[in-house]
Amino acid sequence: MAELERASQPEGHTRREVLQTLGVLGATGAAAFGTWGALEALVPAGTAEAWHRSVCRYCGTGCTIQVGLRGGKVTDVRGDPAGHNRGVICIKGATLVDLPVLPGRLTRPMIRRGDGFVEASWDEAMGLVGERFQQVIASDGPDAVAFYGSGQLFTEESYTANKLFKAGIRTNNVDGNPRLCMTSAAFGYVQTYGKDEPPGCYEDIDHADCFFLMGANPFDCHPPLFERIHQRRRSHPGTTVICVDPRRTGTAKRSDIHLPVIPGTDLLLLNAMAQVICEERLVDDAFLVEHVRFSDGKVTVRFEQFRRFLDDYAPEKVADLVGISAHDIRRVAFLFARSTATMSLWTMGVNQRAQGTFVNNMLNGLHLITSQICRPGATPLSLTGQCNACGGVRDTGALAHLLPHGRLVAKEEDRREMERLWGVPPGTISPRPGYDAISLFRAMEEGKVKAALVMCTNPAQSLPNIARYREAMKKCFLVVSEIVPDSETAKLAQVLLPAALWVEKQGVYGQTERRYQLVEKLLDPPGEARSDLQILVDLAIRLGHGDLIRARTAEAVWEEYRQLSGQSKYYNFAGITYGRLRTLPGLQWPCPTESSLGTARRYVAGDDALVSPGRKIDFYGQPDRRAVVYLRPYQPSPEAPTKEFPYILTTGRVLEQWHTGTMTGRIPELAKAAGRGHFEINEQDAYGLGIKTGDTVRVRSRFNAMTGTAVVTSGPRQGVLFAAFFDAAFLVNLTVSDAVDPISREPEFKVTAVAIEKASA
Amino acid sequence: MLPFAVPSIESVVKALGVILGILGILLCLRILRVRPPDLTSARLIRLGIVTVPSAAFFKLLAFAALILIPAAAVAVANYHVFEGVENVEGCASCHVMHPMVNDMHDAGSNTLAARHYRRRWIADRQCYQCHTDYGLSGTLNAKMEGYRHLARYVTRTYPEPIRLRGHYLNQNCLKCHKATAGFENVQSHHTVWDRLSTNQMTCLNCHGLAHPSPGDRTPGSREYARLMRAPE
Repeated sequence: MAELERASQPEGHTRREVLQTLGVLGATGAAAFGTWGALEALVPAGTAEAWHRSVCRYCGTGCTIQVGLRGGKVTDVRGDPAGHNRGVICIKGATLVDLPVLPGRLTRPMIRRGDGFVEASWDEAMGLVGERFQQVIASDGPDAVAFYGSGQLFTEESYTANKLFKAGIRTNNVDGNPRLCMTSAAFGYVQTYGKDEPPGCYEDIDHADCFFLMGANPFDCHPPLFERIHQRRRSHPGTTVICVDPRRTGTAKRSDIHLPVIPGTDLLLLNAMAQVICEERLVDDAFLVEHVRFSDGKVTVRFEQFRRFLDDYAPEKVADLVGISAHDIRRVAFLFARSTATMSLWTMGVNQRAQGTFVNNMLNGLHLITSQICRPGATPLSLTGQCNACGGVRDTGALAHLLPHGRLVAKEEDRREMERLWGVPPGTISPRPGYDAISLFRAMEEGKVKAALVMCTNPAQSLPNIARYREAMKKCFLVVSEIVPDSETAKLAQVLLPAALWVEKQGVYGQTERRYQLVEKLLDPPGEARSDLQILVDLAIRLGHGDLIRARTAEAVWEEYRQLSGQSKYYNFAGITYGRLRTLPGLQWPCPTESSLGTARRYVAGDDALVSPGRKIDFYGQPDRRAVVYLRPYQPSPEAPTKEFPYILTTGRVLEQWHTGTMTGRIPELAKAAGRGHFEINEQDAYGLGIKTGDTVRVRSRFNAMTGTAVVTSGPRQGVLFAAFFDAAFLVNLTVSDAVDPISREPEFKVTAVAIEKASA
Repeated sequence: MLPFAVPSIESVVKALGVILGILGILLCLRILRVRPPDLTSARLIRLGIVTVPSAAFFKLLAFAALILIPAAAVAVANYHVFEGVENVEGCASCHVMHPMVNDMHDAGSNTLAARHYRRRWIADRQCYQCHTDYGLSGTLNAKMEGYRHLARYVTRTYPEPIRLRGHYLNQNCLKCHKATAGFENVQSHHTVWDRLSTNQMTCLNCHGLAHPSPGDRTPGSREYARLMRAPE
C-alpha cells in the first residue's frame, strides 16, 4: 500500500509537504503579526487616552499645555512641545489635573438670607439680580451699577460684559483686577508708542545677551520664562542677567548683578542710568533723530532739555536714596546700552507703584535712547500677571476709560465709531469714564454704586487696604460669580453664582506676548455651575438687552469680536479664527488675514504687516510715527518711611500659590509647600527688634494693623519686609496702602510704611 | 600586542549570527528533502571520524535545525539586540532616530539630551542610560514596545513625527539625580514627590524637551532636513 502511494507521487516535494511548509510559514507569520497586533492593542497609552491642547489657568506666561483625558476625567497635564514654552510648565501648571476636582465647589446659586445663604434656582437668583439692577438703574441711573471683572475671564466674557454695560446699560463702570496689576504698563506703553501691548515677544529671550529684570521675580512667578533665560545663558555664556529687586529672591540669587534697591526709589535709578547713558555718549543719536520725540508730558522738548533734566539724577546724587552704589549704577547703565541686545522684563514691582506709569515710561525710554529695541533680543517686555489681562481686558477695552481696541471713552469720535460698530444709536455710550477699581469701591462706600457684578476675582482679599473696601462691599448689592462659596468676596455677596472653571468652559486667553490661544471645553462644570458668559447673556436678556447681546456662545462672540478687530487699523486680528486656534499653538496679533502667521515683533518692517511701506521701523501708533521718551520727575512714595513707620512692607507672590489661593490653596501639595502666610523680616532688622523666626509680630501701617508669624531671612533688604497675599487667614492687604498712580489709578501694593513689633505672648 | 586587530564582541556576535542564520537555512532546506525511507533505511553515513546510521543522522539534523540552531540564534539575537542596541550607533541605525542623535551631538542645543552630552554627564551609551527600559533590565512593557517599534519600522507603518507611546519613566532620571544635593535642594521636588515617584507627573514638565520637538521632526519643517541627515 505504502509502496503504491509512494510510486504514484512525483519526485521532489509532495503537495502535502508544500502545504505543510506553507502552513508552518503561515503560522509563524500569523504569530508574528498576531503578536504585533496584540501589542498595538495592549500596550498601555500611558497616563491618558486622548490629549487636547489648552492653556494654563494661572499666570501671564500663558503656557501652552496638553491636557490628557481618560474616561472623561483629566488625568495628566503636560507642557506642549509645540507651544512657545517648548514643553516647560511650572509646578502649578503640572498640578492642573486637580483643578476639575477641586473640593468645595459651588454648585448651586445662593441668595443671602441674614448672615447665611440659601440655595436657589438659576431663575430665582438671576431673577433677583435682574430685578435689583433694574431698580437701581431706574432710581439712581446707570452709573449706580458696575461690573468688576478679571484678567482671568475669557476674552469672550470680558468683551460681552463690556458691551452690555457700556452700550446696553450705558455706564462705563466696567473695571477689573487688571487695574491692580497692569494699567501702569498699559498707560506706559500707550504714552510711549501710542498703542498698548509689548512690541517684542518671548522669542527675544533667545537672542538677548543682557537681561534687565526689574520688579520681577520670574524664578518664582513666571518660571518657564526664567527657564528660558537660563537656557539662553547655557547656550550663550557671557549673557548677563541684572536683577533690580529689594529682595534677594530666587531670581536675584541666579543673576549676575543684583541691585537691592529701596522700594519706591527706582525712578531715580532709571533716570540715573539715562543720565549716564547721555553723559557717556552711549546714546544712539541716529535712532533718536529718526524715531524718537522727547516730551515733558505736556509739550515736545529737545534732547538737550532731556539731558539737563537728567543732571539732577546723576548717580552720585541719587545712589544713597536708592540704596546702592553709584559704581553699580554706572556699570548697569553701560551694560544696558552697550550689550548687543538688551531685553528688559518687569512686572508688579514696576507697575504697582504711585509712579508706576512714569517708571514704565522710563524703562521704555532707556530702550529708545540706546536703540535697544526693534531687533531680536532687544526689547522692553512687560510681563503680564494674569492669564488673560492682555487679551481679555486691555484689548477688549474692559476698563473704565476704554473702549475696544485702544479706543477711549473720552474721545467722541471713538464713542461714535463704537456705537456704529455695535449698531447702537449715537450718544448711547456715556462720555464719562467710569470708576476705576479703587474709585469703584469708594463709590460703593459712598452709596453711589448700589449694585455690582463681580466675576472671577476676589477683591475682598486682593484690594489694598481691604478693611475699608470690605465695609464698602457690604453696602452694595454684590453679585458674585465664583467657583467656591467661601472666598473672602463670596462671603460678602448678596447673590452667589456658581461658575465654571478652566476647561469646563470655552474661550480665548491672550497672554504677555500678544498671543491668543484657545481653551476648549473638555468637561462639564459640576452641579449647576455655568460659564460666566452664560451668566452675562442671561443678565443681558433680563435687562432687556437681548438685541444687543446677540452672540450667545463663545464661538459666536469670538466671531463678532474678531470681525470687530478687522475694523481697527492697528489691533487687527481678523486672521485669528477659532479654526486656526484649534490647530495652532496660538497666534500673535496683529494678524490681519487668515494666511498671516501673526506678528512676533511690532513696528518692524518684515515682521509687522502694519508698518508703512518704505520704513524699517515705524511707531505707527503715534501721529508723528515717533516713540516718545518722557522727562519724568521723581517723587518719593506717599508711603516713604517715617519715624512712626520706619519700615517698608512690600507684597508679592510665591511659586506654589496663585493670587488669593482660591484654587491653589485647595491643592494639598501646593498648600503645604507654601505654608501659611507670614512676614519675611530681614535678619538685621529682626535682631534689632528682638524677633526670631516663629514669633508673632504686629505690623502696623497708617491704614490698619495685623498680627502674623515672622520668618527671619536674608531675603528682603534691611528696612524691608515681605509678605505674600495668598492666605485668607493672613490678610496682609489690611495694612497695604491704597495710594494710586494718578495716571493709571493702579494702587501701590509695593510700598507701605509700617511699624513692626513683637506681639506680646 | 597581537599582529592583527582584535575584533570587538559586537563584530564576533554579528558574524556568529550570520553564520547561524545561513547554517539554519541550509539545514532546513536539507531537511525538506528528507523522505521517509531515509529515516528507516539502515544506510550508514560517515561524518569525518564518526559513522552514524541514516535514521540517527537525520534525527540529529532535525535536532540541530529545529532546536539547536534556533536556540543559538535566539541567544545570539538576545545578546545582539538587547546589548548591541545599548550603543548610540545602534539607535542611530533607524533613520527616524537621526534627529535625536544629531541634536544630542549639537553643541548649541539646549535639549536635555544635548545638555547631558555636552557636559559629559554620561560617559557612553547615552541613549541607553536614559532609556534603560530598552535593556535587559527594563520593564516588560518596554520590551513589547521595542518589538512593536521594530514591526512598525520594517513595515514603514510609522507616522512622522514619531512620538513616545505610553510615557517616559521618571526612574530613568531619578536613578542618577535623586539624592544629589542639586535635586534635594529644590523644594518643588519634595512638594510633588509622590507624583514624581509614581510617574503621575513627568520630570519633563519643568525641565523641558529631551529631544527635538515633534514640530521640528515633522517632514517639511524648517529643521527637518538638518535633523534627518545621517549622524557623523
